[in-house]
Amino acid sequence: MTRTVGLLGRELRAIWMLLLVAIVLFIATPDFLTTGNLLNVVLAAATTALLAAGQTFVIILAEIDLSVGAIMGLAGVAVAIVLKDHGFLTALLVGLLVGALAGLINGLLVTKTRMPSFIATLAMMSVLAGLTLRITEGNPVAVNNDSFLAIGQAKPLGVPAPIWIMVAGFLVFGFLLARSQFGRYVYAVGDNAEAARLSGIPVDRVKILAFVISGVLSAVGGFILTARLGTAQPTAGAGMELAAIAAVIIGGTSLAGGRGALIGTAIGAVLLGTIDNGLNLLNVSPFLQDVVKGLVILFAVFIDRNSGALSRAAAHIPRPHSRGTVPSSTN
Amino acid sequence: MGENGAGKSTLTRVISGAHQPNAGVLIIDGDEVRFNKPQDAMAAGIRVIYQEFRQNLFPHLDVAQNLFVLDLGGRFGRLFVRRGAMREAAKELLLSVGLDVDTAREVASLSVAEQQQLEIAKAISEDVKLLILDEPTAALDETESGFLFEQVRRLRDEGVAIVYITHRLKEAFDLADHVVVLRDGKVAMDESPDVLTEADVVTAMAGRTVEDLYPRHTQPTDRPRLELTDVSVAGAFESLSITVHAGEVVGIGGVAGSGKGEVPRAVFGLRRRTGGSVQLDGKTLDIRSPRDAIDAGIAYVTPDRQAEGLALGQSVGDNITLASLPEFTSAGWVARGSQRAAAAKIVEQLGIRTSSVDAEAGQLSGGNQQKVLLGRWVLRDPTVLLMDEPTRGVDVAAKADIYKIIDEQTREGAAVLLVSSDLPELVAMCDRVIVVRHGRAVAELTGEALSEQSVLEHALESES
Repeated sequence: MTRTVGLLGRELRAIWMLLLVAIVLFIATPDFLTTGNLLNVVLAAATTALLAAGQTFVIILAEIDLSVGAIMGLAGVAVAIVLKDHGFLTALLVGLLVGALAGLINGLLVTKTRMPSFIATLAMMSVLAGLTLRITEGNPVAVNNDSFLAIGQAKPLGVPAPIWIMVAGFLVFGFLLARSQFGRYVYAVGDNAEAARLSGIPVDRVKILAFVISGVLSAVGGFILTARLGTAQPTAGAGMELAAIAAVIIGGTSLAGGRGALIGTAIGAVLLGTIDNGLNLLNVSPFLQDVVKGLVILFAVFIDRNSGALSRAAAHIPRPHSRGTVPSSTN
Repeated sequence: MGENGAGKSTLTRVISGAHQPNAGVLIIDGDEVRFNKPQDAMAAGIRVIYQEFRQNLFPHLDVAQNLFVLDLGGRFGRLFVRRGAMREAAKELLLSVGLDVDTAREVASLSVAEQQQLEIAKAISEDVKLLILDEPTAALDETESGFLFEQVRRLRDEGVAIVYITHRLKEAFDLADHVVVLRDGKVAMDESPDVLTEADVVTAMAGRTVEDLYPRHTQPTDRPRLELTDVSVAGAFESLSITVHAGEVVGIGGVAGSGKGEVPRAVFGLRRRTGGSVQLDGKTLDIRSPRDAIDAGIAYVTPDRQAEGLALGQSVGDNITLASLPEFTSAGWVARGSQRAAAAKIVEQLGIRTSSVDAEAGQLSGGNQQKVLLGRWVLRDPTVLLMDEPTRGVDVAAKADIYKIIDEQTREGAAVLLVSSDLPELVAMCDRVIVVRHGRAVAELTGEALSEQSVLEHALESES
């Protein structure tokens, strides 16, 4: 069998993990499989999922964005501060601009100064997190604007607004990644940037745009969290970058670039949320929860690596496609 | 010899203990042997220099440590390595294969040829009975290859049995006492080269008669298409003036390091020109990037399809349309249907062997990958086709196909600039060949004056 490039591949492997965890929780606790609880799982996962969606673009490009949590924190605080004196739309716009600008700086650092994205975004994470603390002096910023709070607390058709936002974001950006010219360029550049450049693809612009998308979606994640809590916590984003990256990797996107899909990231984020939820329902100590999550990430990546190796080994013996080019009848 | 996938590599792996045979026996010096792992074969005196030999080297360790990497725990001191003694031993060993470099140098700083000699030195540092060389000249230039042949002959005379795997007919005829051709995992020929012609070997490899390996039938026009006037690239070449007419194939020959490969890169906007001008159909072009070049109708087939040619994890279709995606895009969205249809047409036109346009490009054989790369540009109907080593590492049948594509492109009026170190290819496919030495054009050969001998002489002639 030839491996073909398609949607139903490694990206959906995480769904088996998700089903497994769900079945275990269903047996272990009666509280798991209730509509209210399931909505809670997805609601809690929404912020991580949005950060992870932007991260997916960056990781398919074989780069990484460690600053997503810090951007989320800064954007949340920025929105809350602007809301004190200005209206809902102005605040939203400022928040989105903060995210876009941070992403733009990341993108320019990576492309124009040729800094490894790990270093550039690590530095940006520190800069932005520090800036957030400086602006707020470390204090939470309260929000009273009802239109804004609705982003986190309204329930159109009985489903919390953050879930609607998450689903809409994944649809729009999922299509962008899979079907747009920009999306196809993301895969090509991530797989082989030199080949892309020699084919006339604007490699730098593709990378910059991906970092901007990551920044903007992180800002949206910041809005949701701020609106849900009613206050902007300056340290809200701390550690979120790791959760986002974990969701992307569990979702089957390759850190080496060129492979992945947004559907996998969505499943990865929900899986992490489900584990969180289950551990809470089972009254597992919060300190132990991080241990369990770490083990799940290791397990997911282990499965991914090894099933890949197994199917590759199977595909290579015998090697039907390395056979010499016997002339076809058209010659 | 044998085409890609004929079984050469698998056979090598069986002999070197990396694969176990399903049936049959291996006999060494009259004794039947069985290798369960590569170490068993090494103990029996079998060494392999793989084509990707650089994977076996530690680029950031020095020459001496690379040579004695297996002995680091004992031979030169148990706890601390006695560097002096190790370097002396290394020096002696290297001189025996004719490599005179500082043993304290980092391996990454050596040339490819020097790294290969280091690999050979490593292989013969212990008692070696059988040395297998897998396409050893793939990355070497003429001079370096000549030196390698001397080494091979010397080892043979010292009683080492040598299996030499190559795609190049000339090497097999020059070096071998026996030519074995594999095809589809079977021995298709086993003869002394004295009773063979090159055509016999090609036929055995392809399993059919390749009457026309070099199908160059199109007559060039006298309409200038691509004109380079006094073009210079600092550090690469100087004041080159080359005119390629519509329908013409102009070759550029020269040894590695002559600057020949930089010529198409300068035209394609990958190297900044430091002087001179480039004209296309009489109009002066200011090309600063591949995008500019592509928009002007110029195509460039890179010599390194793995590193900068194909996105191997993406589909065949995506690779073919990679430079043409804007044509399948409206308002930012790609029309997947017409994109796949266009790719499928190229797959059929060029005879690319793949299960579908959705197959991963990395799964194809080398020859078919090369055709995918070529297909990317054929799709664009280029007016200028720049090619650097378009048939490197490609089997005979695919080679003939690629030459046919080149000829077809010229029939449609394309101007082709062909950089190659494959002399038969240059002589047979080009209407004119320009020989470059130390960044300067030293000869323009055509008609009777164009021969493998004359290209080589001009390429190598020492500086006066």
